[in-house]
Amino acid sequence: MFEPKRLHPVSVIFTTIQTFKQLILGFLPIAILAIGDGMFFYLVLGIGVLLLLIVGFSVLTWMRYTYQVEEDQLRIEHGVFIRKKRTISKHRIQSIDLSQNIIHRLFGLTKVQIETAGSDHKIDAALHAVTLQEGKKLHDQLKYKQTVEMQRTDDQVEVVSYPSKQVSTKELLIAGSTSASFGFIIGLFALGFSELEVIIPDSFYNQASAWVVNLTIQAMIVMALTFFIIIWALGILVTLFQYWKFTITRYEKELFITRGLLEKKQMTIPLKRIQAVGIKETIIRQLFGFSTVYVEIASGDINNSGDMKTLVFPLMNRKNIHSFLAEILPEYHLPIEKQMKLPKRALPYYLVRTAFIPLIASIIVAFIAVDWIAVALIVFILSAVIGYFQYRSARYQLSNHQLMIQTRVLNKDILLLKHHRLQSFAVKQHFLHRRHNLASIDTAILSRLAGRHVMLNEVDVESALQLADWYSYEK
Amino acid sequence: MRNAPTERIATDAIKAWKVSAIMLSIIPLLITIALFVLAYYFEFSYWFAIGLTVFTIIEAVVTIVFIPKIRWNRWRYQIFDQEIYVQHGILVVTRTIIPMIRIQHVDTKQGPILKNYKLASLTISTAATTHEIPALLEEEASNLRDQISELARVEQDDV
Repeated sequence: MFEPKRLHPVSVIFTTIQTFKQLILGFLPIAILAIGDGMFFYLVLGIGVLLLLIVGFSVLTWMRYTYQVEEDQLRIEHGVFIRKKRTISKHRIQSIDLSQNIIHRLFGLTKVQIETAGSDHKIDAALHAVTLQEGKKLHDQLKYKQTVEMQRTDDQVEVVSYPSKQVSTKELLIAGSTSASFGFIIGLFALGFSELEVIIPDSFYNQASAWVVNLTIQAMIVMALTFFIIIWALGILVTLFQYWKFTITRYEKELFITRGLLEKKQMTIPLKRIQAVGIKETIIRQLFGFSTVYVEIASGDINNSGDMKTLVFPLMNRKNIHSFLAEILPEYHLPIEKQMKLPKRALPYYLVRTAFIPLIASIIVAFIAVDWIAVALIVFILSAVIGYFQYRSARYQLSNHQLMIQTRVLNKDILLLKHHRLQSFAVKQHFLHRRHNLASIDTAILSRLAGRHVMLNEVDVESALQLADWYSYEK
Repeated sequence: MRNAPTERIATDAIKAWKVSAIMLSIIPLLITIALFVLAYYFEFSYWFAIGLTVFTIIEAVVTIVFIPKIRWNRWRYQIFDQEIYVQHGILVVTRTIIPMIRIQHVDTKQGPILKNYKLASLTISTAATTHEIPALLEEEASNLRDQISELARVEQDDV
């Protein structure tokens, strides 16, 4: 247990790929120039030599990289030219995540990612390739005072007596088929097919028809539909691959997530790093009554993939959220009754905010391009409708230590905030607000090493002050 | 938060702001002159330049004469044991509560203009936001900084 170990030799492949990726951008212009000058032979030669060098370097890197587990620390030594030694104390380790991509799975390996509390990610360590068995062993050895019992059965981690929830295939299919890109496309098509011919002026048709003269309308529609179905299917596939068997388990002090079909991923979220819980409903999902649950966490690198907003559940029926939170995150609750809405006099503000610019645009269009007035008016009406729904959705609820704020831009977003997680609290009033006894509130939470402002516009001024009193430490 | 904070910032803030406003309005002035010159050499209408002149004058009067006074009048702050309470804003009046236990660090800052008037500004940072009290007397600013950092020295739970 105490002697230094090397990573699995496959890590050479990873280093090679990684280095090559980094270099390729720099060499691409040279390569293109070389091809242009007819120096193809030299280019191939150059690439060959380069590859050889990189592979050699990767092998050296692998040879020089050792790790060892000592009493209560992990020691890593690495570096080809500059030797670096790093010791990470067990007590400081926040989470150890195992993840496997396709190459890992081919060889039965895993990547071990060790995260410490600091915000400096250079301090964190990642063992790129060790055998799965070794990975599990490391996980158990380094876990400080972890009483979690895990039994491995076949292909999935089974956990004894901790609340856990897995996504169903049906939910995943729905999640995929209602993903954001799809919503956008369907909206576009709905608009296109129903109204296009009426709205768009004849002059445009005449010009456009010059180049599509060979295509019949039917053929175009078929093409568009095929394209659309392919994109849709792709969206569903991506979601299935990403969130396959998404399972979340609640331990005493952390949430543990496993997911993925080809690339298996594990994620540990320490509870004390959770800054807020959010529930998001895109327009389409809202129609069908589905929501996504996510958390805002303090430091960023837990998930490297940018699109994933630290989901704690990819999709579930709105009705189940209450029991889900009660089981997995009992610190937070979704209040259903006593939600406070905005006063009626707030509505004009919301309408003006969304529809003012389209209105001006419509007026301009009416003067300079009267043909297009229908399009402008539709945009204007749509934005007014959005404004109305923003007003309708805006609400809040206050219970002991938790503030719920629900807002909408296009999608509905509910945030559950804890008193001690709010970094500051502001009440804003402009001169019209003062006349109408309204105020906006603006508070901030920490999210990925930066602040995220949570705002609720045009609340009744008395309620805003009550919220401020609730927040204030000087009672 | 029912009442405005009690403390005002230094009166010299108005002078300091006026100086920086004068400096800023040099930019539109230069553009206006450039436009006159261009109009002379390239022989296009002087109306653009005249329009810009009017704009420059109005902008200068508003930002130099009116805004510093209104801004000063609105600026208030108050330090409690457990939180800082700040009010500012001209059109939009913002009142902010910053709890002491959320404060990560406090800085005092002084540019050349503020230095000239023996003023300094105080910047208060939490993990997610930063707040500034713009123009305090030098001494007051450093006293406040020490006082706040003393009050903020409470056991912090994770962020």
